[in-house]
Amino acid sequence: MTATTSAAPAATTAGAFRTVRRRRATRSLVVTSALAMAVTALFVLTMMVGSFQLTAGEVIASVLHLREDPSVDFVVRDLRLPTATSALAVGLALGAAGTIFQQLLRNPLASPDFVGITSGAGLAAISGIVLLQLGGLAVSGLALAGAVGAALLMYVLAWRDGVAGYRFILIGIGVALFFDGLIGYMLTRARLSDARQAMHWLTGSVGQAGAAELRLLLGALVLLLPIAVLLQRQLRTLELGDDTARALGSRVELGRGGLLATAVALVALAVAVAGPVIFVALVAGPIANRLLGPATGGIVAAALAGATLLLTADLVAVHVLPTPLPTGVVTGAVGAPYLLWLLATTNRQGAGG
Amino acid sequence: MTRLRAEGLTLGYDDQAIVTNLDVEVLDGKITAIVGANACGKSTLLRGLARLLKPRHGEVYLDGKAMTELSTHEVAKILGLLPQTPVAPDGITVADLVARGRYPHQGWFRRWTERDDDAVTRALDATGTADLIDRPLRQLSGGQRQRVWVAMALAQDTDLLLLDEPTTYLDINHQVELLRLLRKLNAESGKTIVVVLHDLNLACRFCDHIIAMAEGAIVAEGAPTAVITPELVEKVFGLACVVIPDPIAGTPMVVPA
Repeated sequence: MTATTSAAPAATTAGAFRTVRRRRATRSLVVTSALAMAVTALFVLTMMVGSFQLTAGEVIASVLHLREDPSVDFVVRDLRLPTATSALAVGLALGAAGTIFQQLLRNPLASPDFVGITSGAGLAAISGIVLLQLGGLAVSGLALAGAVGAALLMYVLAWRDGVAGYRFILIGIGVALFFDGLIGYMLTRARLSDARQAMHWLTGSVGQAGAAELRLLLGALVLLLPIAVLLQRQLRTLELGDDTARALGSRVELGRGGLLATAVALVALAVAVAGPVIFVALVAGPIANRLLGPATGGIVAAALAGATLLLTADLVAVHVLPTPLPTGVVTGAVGAPYLLWLLATTNRQGAGG
Repeated sequence: MTRLRAEGLTLGYDDQAIVTNLDVEVLDGKITAIVGANACGKSTLLRGLARLLKPRHGEVYLDGKAMTELSTHEVAKILGLLPQTPVAPDGITVADLVARGRYPHQGWFRRWTERDDDAVTRALDATGTADLIDRPLRQLSGGQRQRVWVAMALAQDTDLLLLDEPTTYLDINHQVELLRLLRKLNAESGKTIVVVLHDLNLACRFCDHIIAMAEGAIVAEGAPTAVITPELVEKVFGLACVVIPDPIAGTPMVVPA
């Protein structure tokens, strides 16, 4: 103990700590509000652009049923609102789920894309398209079942005196590769038209959302996002390792189970709506952390970052590029370089990915 | 009757029992060191006392109540533990980490209060980490980092504090600094401390009570001067030695023969 620090009066420490804490709280509030405003602006913007240009006022008036104008209402409510809502909801769900996975498993690579859940959904959906010639809601239902099934399979495989983070990731990657192999095999057996439909689904696009799945996802968001926010307290202890979490009085298995179930449900429903839109779940959390300050791990901020990403990607995919592309192509183009950067830097730090 | 004690405690992992049928009483208001060779079960015993391991047989009692009957949240207000290799999320700052020690004093909807601010302030001041609050944990030296972890455990504001090999990765200067800190905490607030230590000489110098373990059993227990003899060191560590008084404090000092 150095004499200088222990001699410092307690009042200064209290003041300094309070300042640091308030600064963090303010930053968190500012960042979250700014993200919410960005999401709202993008949401409206998405509905303004297209072959039939509209003003922000017209869009807002139509969405909120403030004014009745049949031609505007048709374009906004029937054509553009479902896609925009789907981008918003899928983005929120993937952002929240991704950051929960990453914090829970203490690894920036542990997004649902990489630990087999998305692949499980993909395999189930592709099987439906190729073997049973299904489409629409049935494919989404299968995707949902596949994601939940893959998560349960991994939980069973990785279970031994609780779910250890690192094992979960390794098993997840193994499961993902296995499913991807089966998807590849399935595609080689498919008729050409089915294979096209299957590949389109696998790319992921917010435009392919059906009304029923979307309603389900919106309902789930209303229920699960507040639960996730409440469980954030547990997550903050779990991040410190199981022993510390237990010593702090956190009920480790219960908290982890609840968080995993919440995250899996969000990912499964998001994939059911839009197919596997890759990289959003991987990058939303780190982007939110960059804005909030390291290790803050705000689930709401990550959800909003996910929505910002997906709305932007959809705008770029549909309106900026010369030919409209599925959303997944754009998120992939942004996400892949990030993944490379992540792998390069974690290896340099020796943290291992 | 001491606040923390174990009766007939058997602990283990998978099918293997590591510690069998132990009776332990942790002396209130004292510093107890658990010593022994590698893999003798000393960390297992500490984890058992801190309810991190469920007993196979026997029971740990806190304030007269069986630990398994108590809610883990209530235990965390009385008993703190610093694990051997705690992990922290990348980039976490000292202020954030120490504040997380307040978890057991908060509820689902009751968030941060004055009392939390006070407890964190006391913990930072006691450990001399107040000037580090803005720094990321990973930029600190080993000694500073360990003091920050102790600060987190102190912010938990418990009467009993258990530490699992807190000096392992520290150089001699920082080892002594950390043990002096524990002494100070014990003297100032009467905190009961149990610490697993590797270095016998430091254990004798800084602790009131020694529990020596070998092969999952307690071999000897008592004040350092009464317990540490050449015969015991031979038995526990398999080392031939002479024991002389420490020239500064007069406590036993083990010198290999």
